[in-house]
Amino acid sequence: MSEHKPRKSNESKPPKAFGWMAEYVDEASLLSASRKVRDSGYTKTDAFTPFPVHGIDEALGIKPTILPFLVLCAGLTGMTTALLMQWWMNGVDYKYIISGKPFGITPASIPVAFELTILFSAFTSFLGMFALNQLPKFSNPVFTNPKFDRATNDRFFLYVSSADKYYNRESVKDLLAATHPESLDEVMEDTTPAALPRPILLGAMLLVFAGLIPGAIILNMRAGFSNLPRLHVFFDMDFQPKKKSQQQTTVFADGRTMRPQVAGTIARGQLEEQDPFYLGFDPAKISATTGRSDLMLVSTAVQPPEGEPAPAEPAPAEPAPAEPVKTEGTPENQPPAEQPPAEQPPAEGEMPATEPATPTETVPAETAPSQIPATPLEPAKAVEPAPAAVPAPAQAAAPASGTPALNLPWVEKLPIEATEAHMKLGKLKYETYCSACHGYAGFGDGLVHKRAESLLQPTWIPPTSLHADRVRTQPVGQIFHTITKGQGKMASYATSITPKERWAIVLYVKALQRSRNASIEDVPVEDRSKLEEAK
Amino acid sequence: MATIASSINPREIDNTADVPGRRAPLITGNQTYGSVTEMVCRVAEDPQPMLWYVLFGFSSLTALMFLSLIGYLILTGVGIWGNMNPVFWAWPIVNFVFWVGIGHAGTLISAILFLFRQNWRTSINRAAEAMTIFAVICAGIYPGIHVGRAWLAFWLLPYPSLNLWMWPQFRSPLLWDVFAVGTYASTSLVFWYMGMVPDLATYRDRSKSPLRRMVYGLLSMGWTGSSRHWLVYEKAYTLLAALAAPLVLSVHTVVSFDFAVSQVAGWHTTIFPPYFVAGAIFSGFAMVVTLLVPVRSIYKLENLITLRHLDNMNKIILATGSLVGLAYATEFFIAWYSQNQYESFTFMNRAFGPYWWAYWTMVSCNVISPQVFWFKKMRTSPFWMVVVCIFVNIGMWFERFVITVTSLSRDFLPSSWGYFRPTMYDGLMFFGSFGVFMSLFLLFCRFLPTIAMSEVKGIMSADNHDAHGHDDDHGSAH
Repeated sequence: MSEHKPRKSNESKPPKAFGWMAEYVDEASLLSASRKVRDSGYTKTDAFTPFPVHGIDEALGIKPTILPFLVLCAGLTGMTTALLMQWWMNGVDYKYIISGKPFGITPASIPVAFELTILFSAFTSFLGMFALNQLPKFSNPVFTNPKFDRATNDRFFLYVSSADKYYNRESVKDLLAATHPESLDEVMEDTTPAALPRPILLGAMLLVFAGLIPGAIILNMRAGFSNLPRLHVFFDMDFQPKKKSQQQTTVFADGRTMRPQVAGTIARGQLEEQDPFYLGFDPAKISATTGRSDLMLVSTAVQPPEGEPAPAEPAPAEPAPAEPVKTEGTPENQPPAEQPPAEQPPAEGEMPATEPATPTETVPAETAPSQIPATPLEPAKAVEPAPAAVPAPAQAAAPASGTPALNLPWVEKLPIEATEAHMKLGKLKYETYCSACHGYAGFGDGLVHKRAESLLQPTWIPPTSLHADRVRTQPVGQIFHTITKGQGKMASYATSITPKERWAIVLYVKALQRSRNASIEDVPVEDRSKLEEAK
Repeated sequence: MATIASSINPREIDNTADVPGRRAPLITGNQTYGSVTEMVCRVAEDPQPMLWYVLFGFSSLTALMFLSLIGYLILTGVGIWGNMNPVFWAWPIVNFVFWVGIGHAGTLISAILFLFRQNWRTSINRAAEAMTIFAVICAGIYPGIHVGRAWLAFWLLPYPSLNLWMWPQFRSPLLWDVFAVGTYASTSLVFWYMGMVPDLATYRDRSKSPLRRMVYGLLSMGWTGSSRHWLVYEKAYTLLAALAAPLVLSVHTVVSFDFAVSQVAGWHTTIFPPYFVAGAIFSGFAMVVTLLVPVRSIYKLENLITLRHLDNMNKIILATGSLVGLAYATEFFIAWYSQNQYESFTFMNRAFGPYWWAYWTMVSCNVISPQVFWFKKMRTSPFWMVVVCIFVNIGMWFERFVITVTSLSRDFLPSSWGYFRPTMYDGLMFFGSFGVFMSLFLLFCRFLPTIAMSEVKGIMSADNHDAHGHDDDHGSAH
């Protein structure tokens, strides 16, 4: 540290001389003087100029620098580092599988490789410049004479060092004086202490020490243990009002995160859930027998158009009979005294005739879903109770289906027309999807079954013959349901076959069944002779 | 010997026109080496004008507001911004690209113009480089705070993590961005600093107070002006310029990859890299002009930053502005020519959809307003060039807004369309980033050499050399 100190030479001992410094006003005189000095054989020379004087390297005999070579090496190192890093990190140590793209070095590695090449090269140029110039160097004989400060302003200095092997104080002085310098001075040793002033040193050490503290705290925390509760800096991030299983939420007043369907709305696909065409059975009949109107979320919304033209009149009147049916069906609602929401059943009993909308506001969460859809759709109530009031046919329908497994109000009548086109469609789809197991004629002897038998598969369950009595007596709706949902080992075909095609298959299966159990009466009279001929 | 020639009216010599036979001088007022030093050092040595204190007070308060808002953002979350489904890349990314773009002029002037031997760069490169670094600082803040958990932003770097046991995804353009912007920021910083070392030594040698002398002494690393040092220095500077030139082009290319590598209509185009780079140069030069015109007038630097310099920059603004206009037209053409319905829709939606006002602001500011620079009168009028350049910067902000927000707000699924609305915090934080930028720039003017003295002197020396009619017999110079 010399610059901030007064740069007078120390009085105690005579300072050492380092050579001669000649001052010039322009670069032309500097260059001609430099050539003279060079031609006189001096090599430990230097010039100090405010800007790079062109031609000075040749005039002084300065050798080129090896910096470009260092930068080239650094650039290649940077590129290799980047490629190896990406190859190892994403191709070996932690593979990201993205769209089946290849691992290792790919075109996607180019940007990072390019940037690291530049980064390494740039820092090598920067640091290499200082290193090759042996900078920083704060104590320098050149700083001892304030006159030399103009080297960074507007003057040009030529310096011959005393370290030169031909150096002779007097002859160098004469040589430089002959070049007509502005001034000629001897460069003296910098005698100011090179050490940092104590307060600055202390301050710097304190700063470094303070800078280490956060890192030390983090290291201590990572390595050690603590019994203290965790510090929640971001409280609202650690404790968010969000959905957690088996827990109440604070987001909604009722404490639940699953929201009931908004009143008066129909979700996409919901209509199909209520349509016998898509199900094979009639859910309206189930709700009529059980009183569970929640199975009938929306079917009521479809029905009004076909209901009475003026539903407003019967609407307020009808709910009264409807409610008793409902409470019968669900016995929990019947004893009102034991229920926590004590005022609820009386409110229901009193209110419905007057105002159907209010009960929804007061119902507890359990009954809310069943109530909500019914109330805004007032005409719905007018229609829905109708079958509910007459449960007899619905209950009769259930045993009629016959099979013990599923007891649903099956669709008895095919919802598509038994046309030639539908029959052909059914045949096509049957042969595509069903015949593999059930066989082309429906005897359960498809190719898959034959293959399984030939392999003596012990776990193989043979496909059902469609001509078994159990199957033959099934209503069309049940066969449709089996195709839609699957049965036993048979998978669901709902995603592969459209509802209409499924009904066509049902039509075809029914035709197959009929064909294996037909009598001569089934054949039209005029065609019977053809059969005889075929025999 | 040096008479300070700032009293000479710089308009006495019209150096914006070249007389055949002799080149017009780059700096005016019969300058000597000493007078150049005097003019530049005076900026930092003389007491600052009142205006500096007023501006610095205002910008540092704005910067303080910005920092407080960042604190509020980190404590509360990015929900304070208007980023909402479907526009999750909203103002923070717009501001990031805006600032990175501005940060391109400095290195371009320093590196590319240096390699093309455009000597007029010497008067403006220092301030432009400083502006670059401050703009990149502003740019770097935005992705850092946009990640949501800003205290985990270091996860962007490939470091051996004890918690995650995983590495970054190197096929993601967002990670390329980390490397590109990181390399650009650090390389620009060392380029700027290395260029400043000789001038810092000049400051050191002129310092009267021991404190100044020590601080500038430390910063100048003991630079003596030794010719042996200059030789290595010039080589290093040339190398840095050669490295920074492709770097500056790569950075905005990678920034454009953030968009172009995605599949969003209006982003997924190969025109983005050149289009973004042209836009970045355009906005960067506009910002340099906006800053340098007041600086040269406040600090009486008209003889160093002459009308010729401003004229040249305005020509570049005109060229890049027209390039950007060509890019806008090409995008429309390709949208039609590709017959891709999403692409066509996106561009029709940009121009005539709900954001039509942003689109036409962008077109009028970026394409139409720089066309006045066809007229020399406008190119050499400091007032009008600042007006146009401010329009250009407004337009370039809107360009990034249009690209980011219009594409996101209406993508493939009409059911997920939306309309972006910024909040108060979006606006205040964008304004606040200008506070950071201006505070840093004012501090730079106050304490560091605003003009590269050693380079200006080198050009003066070369000009004198030419004027004397000497043959270049001094061997290899560069």
